[in-house]
Amino acid sequence: MENISTRDPLAGYNCHHFSSPATMASFFSSLFQWLSGFFLSKTAEIAIVGLQASGKTSFVNVIGSGQWSEDVVPTVGFIFRKVRKGNVTLKIWDVAGQPKFRSMWERYCHGVDAIVFIIDSADPEKFNTARFELHQLLGQPALTGVPLLVLGNKNDLDSHVPVKDLIRDLQLDKITDRPVSCYSCSMKSQHNLDIVLQWLAGRSH
Amino acid sequence: MSFAMAFSKKEDESGLSSYYNNKTTIIQEARVFNESPISPRKCRALLTRIVYLLYVGETFGTQEATTLFFGTTKLFQHKDSALRQAVYMAIKELAPMAEDVIMVTASIMKDMQPNSEVIYRPNAIRALCRIIDPSMAQGVERFFKAAIVDRNPSIASAALVSAYHLFPHAKDVVKRWVNEAQEAVNAKSGGYFGGPVSTGSFFGGASQSSAQTVPSSSNIMQYHALGLLYLIRQQDRMAVTKMIQQLGGGKSGAGTTLKNAMALCMLIRYAAKVMEEDPNVQKQMVDLLEGWLRHKSDMVNFEAARVICELKNVTSGQLTKSIAVLQLFLSSPKPVLKFAATRTLASLALSHPTSVAVCNVDLENLITDSNRSVATYAITTLLKTGNEASVDRLIKQITGFMSEISDEFKVIIVEAIRSLCLKFPAKHAAMLTFLSGVLRDEGGYDFKRAVVEAIFDMIKFIGECKEQALSHLCEFIEDCEFTKLSVRILHLLGIEGPKSSQPAKYIRFIYNRVVLENAPVRAAAVSSMAKFGVNSTDEKLNKSIAVLLNRCLDDVDDEVRDRAAMYLKVFKTQSLVEPYIKEDSVLSLAALEAKLVSYVKDAGSSAQPFDVSTIPKISRAQAAVDAARPSTLDTIGVPAAKKASASPPPPSAAETQSAYAEKLAAVPSFASYGTILNSSAKPVQLTESETEYQVTCVKHIFKEHIVFQFNVSNTLPDTVLEGVTMAMQTEDSGLTQDFVLPINSLSAATSPGIAYVSFTRDAPDEYAIASFQCTLQFVSKELDPSTGEPEADGYEDEYQIEEVELSAGGDYIVPSYAAFGAEWDRLKGAPSVTETFGLGTSMESLKAACDSIIEVLNMEPLGGTEIPTSSSVHTLQLSGLVTGGGGKVLVRCRMTFSQGVGVTLELGVRAEKQDVCQLVVNAVGG
Repeated sequence: MENISTRDPLAGYNCHHFSSPATMASFFSSLFQWLSGFFLSKTAEIAIVGLQASGKTSFVNVIGSGQWSEDVVPTVGFIFRKVRKGNVTLKIWDVAGQPKFRSMWERYCHGVDAIVFIIDSADPEKFNTARFELHQLLGQPALTGVPLLVLGNKNDLDSHVPVKDLIRDLQLDKITDRPVSCYSCSMKSQHNLDIVLQWLAGRSH
Repeated sequence: MSFAMAFSKKEDESGLSSYYNNKTTIIQEARVFNESPISPRKCRALLTRIVYLLYVGETFGTQEATTLFFGTTKLFQHKDSALRQAVYMAIKELAPMAEDVIMVTASIMKDMQPNSEVIYRPNAIRALCRIIDPSMAQGVERFFKAAIVDRNPSIASAALVSAYHLFPHAKDVVKRWVNEAQEAVNAKSGGYFGGPVSTGSFFGGASQSSAQTVPSSSNIMQYHALGLLYLIRQQDRMAVTKMIQQLGGGKSGAGTTLKNAMALCMLIRYAAKVMEEDPNVQKQMVDLLEGWLRHKSDMVNFEAARVICELKNVTSGQLTKSIAVLQLFLSSPKPVLKFAATRTLASLALSHPTSVAVCNVDLENLITDSNRSVATYAITTLLKTGNEASVDRLIKQITGFMSEISDEFKVIIVEAIRSLCLKFPAKHAAMLTFLSGVLRDEGGYDFKRAVVEAIFDMIKFIGECKEQALSHLCEFIEDCEFTKLSVRILHLLGIEGPKSSQPAKYIRFIYNRVVLENAPVRAAAVSSMAKFGVNSTDEKLNKSIAVLLNRCLDDVDDEVRDRAAMYLKVFKTQSLVEPYIKEDSVLSLAALEAKLVSYVKDAGSSAQPFDVSTIPKISRAQAAVDAARPSTLDTIGVPAAKKASASPPPPSAAETQSAYAEKLAAVPSFASYGTILNSSAKPVQLTESETEYQVTCVKHIFKEHIVFQFNVSNTLPDTVLEGVTMAMQTEDSGLTQDFVLPINSLSAATSPGIAYVSFTRDAPDEYAIASFQCTLQFVSKELDPSTGEPEADGYEDEYQIEEVELSAGGDYIVPSYAAFGAEWDRLKGAPSVTETFGLGTSMESLKAACDSIIEVLNMEPLGGTEIPTSSSVHTLQLSGLVTGGGGKVLVRCRMTFSQGVGVTLELGVRAEKQDVCQLVVNAVGG
């Protein structure tokens, strides 16, 4: 998607907020945003967790450089990436999802502005494990109140499960101590990534 | 807290630092790692404090270390290069303590990538090998191969060093990097630290400040690559030899690609190791070493010279060049060079005093060197190389600076003096004065013990000085703060004092101890006095001793009272004197210890009292031989490094003896044989070391029997040997075979097993000499691979092994020290034999003749006579004890050597028994 890599990534989706179809107004608004990028820069620190091969590192690659690749080496430990979108700097902890690393998710979720939990929505067999790990993580007292974004990845595949079922299978409705959002998306087709980014930008400060 | 003590005074004064550098404070402050945005300055300071704490010995619990470790991993988000380096430092230090350190792998790997900043890469590589899982080594293989041959030496070095550390965990993977390591060794000078080719020296390097200009660190990756190559190839001696030859650069050493001096030094050490293992390559290696003596770096010169000096069987011809190099160092302005050279010369002087003597003039100048370590080694070297005439002067000079050196060096000097006493007995007066003088000086236990032992040796071996030495010791115990030494001296006084012309004069010193000292010393004093009482014929003296002992009955200490009471009883009953005071045999301590340990461990045995009579006894003389300190000549100033690298010390003779005795005692057939008179000091190898069956033999001489113990090993994993016996054949030896005890079943797992063959000595007073043809006989059965059980049918087989000799040296004679001159004169009227032999041209030098005589007779060479000083005429003096009550034997070998005729030997033997003389003559002649 073109607008992802432009300096003003949200412009394409958000234009109705500004309700000004005039070219001049649009020019001023983008100028304003460009300037505010200097003077009102914001940051958001997010931790990305989820089972292995759900697409965590792909997500970081796609929002960071717009590049999607079929084979990504499994992450050992964690990777730190800094991604700048407009006036928002995202500091991303991309934590490995193999079982031996799951106990360490918590350490990288401390003090973040949002936790992103990615799940392979085309692989319902793993939903039980994913639900267990997610609730295990959210049960940590230190993480109370941290906003959660659940992404059902790989919706380009025909077998993917819709958001409604995801919410049910992961028992997201039982989480009451924090804001929760759930989107269906695809890193490969970059579907819905714009609203994901918008959500993340909303967590910045 | 322990780390607080490690603080230097200055920091202690500040007071605040103990709070500032406190573990709890630091763990709390670790919050800064999670702050946003990160402050690199604060984090770096905290990381430094963590590393500092670890450095001074503080320990972190797993949980603490893990928390800190994960804190530091958060810092990967900041790009500050100084911070990143501090992070890597902390990661390396915390990695062994923290859990889940593998978490940081991906972050480190990212820093290792070629597109990463160059300052990150070596740090990342070095950290990776600390946290990596060995199973992941394969995953980083491609990367490591590239890094090893990187143009940047710090990256190449980091990769090589990491590979070195990974090797033990991932041998197969690291082995595949050998080509890259080879390339790094051959690397042309270049890169960041390349600079000019090494021209300076390692020893001088410390004075230069910046790392880039330290010559020894240019081409440093050659050093690291060489280490890795050796590590990979060390099991393969051929490959190592080839590597040394390739990198050595031909005879002159000029063709070498190695430019790094440390790499060359390492190569020299490898060469030394190869020579030690395989004497066949010695010639070519020595050629290489001699080339390096002319290298432009003094570090390389020194290393080559040292290795040549430490060669086994080095000839004085080979030594000339190395000694010339070391001699040059002696007059160098650099203290390190002087120290290295004197230290090497001091140890070389033990074996080659004449070769070292050429440096005497330079060494004399170093006696007054302001560096006392250099001076000490110079003096000890001179003591060994000097002649009798220089002894007085040297001793005077040592006395001058004894007070300025540390105890360790004082001990070295005292040991040198001690061996000098035995070498030049005529000079005993001067040396005794010196020793008694230093005995009065301030000093710790080790130093005082060395002096006291030196005086003990003089008393033992130099009869003339006995009385004077004893009175010095008496004076010493008047004011001795070391209980152990007082006890030993009192014991010695008890043995030697009664034999002196005026025993009475010692009593005052001894009784003073009873009045003034602590309980152990008082008890020793009581025993010592009692010995005077029994051994003296002077009625008056005996009476006064009885009075003194009676006073001791009121002592507050049980042991002192008991001893006094016992000795008073013994005085009244003459029949008790023999077993309690004069008895000459002692329990074998090693055997006693073994028995006591098993007694204490066995819960059921406590119902019965411990039976002392089962412990074998050995004569006091034998005990003294077993407990003998290393021959005095070996103890002087040998560099410690050599010793440390050797394997753990072999069991002492006493331990092996008692181990044998224990095994033999377990065999009922030998129960009636009595005590063992002598067992071979070490097993004789009867097979090559790589054959399928390995046999060693130990001979045990009893009063009327001789038992051969064969230790048989079966190295074949898939066969079992049954009914293993040894067939021994000999002709007319005066021995009759009694029986053979076979090994019932011997597999690789149960090896080695022991088979015994027992013979009766037809005439127990004669020393039967024989050689036996030995054949191992057994039934060989294959093991069923599926069940591990032997198959029913086997076949009988025989295995010829080398002959077993029963000979004078080793079986009947044991080495024993004596003052040759005095003993030789004493035995003037005793049985003696003198015979002349032509040893022929097969003996190519007097040294070879000495060596073979010592080996054949197994006697102690005295006064350094095992090393001929002249190439044409020499006298070798030997002393030994004959087992089974044969008494002392002394041998004087007067030899001449001339080209064409070879060595002519006039063998003079004096012994306490005639047949012993014959035994010796036959051993040499036969």
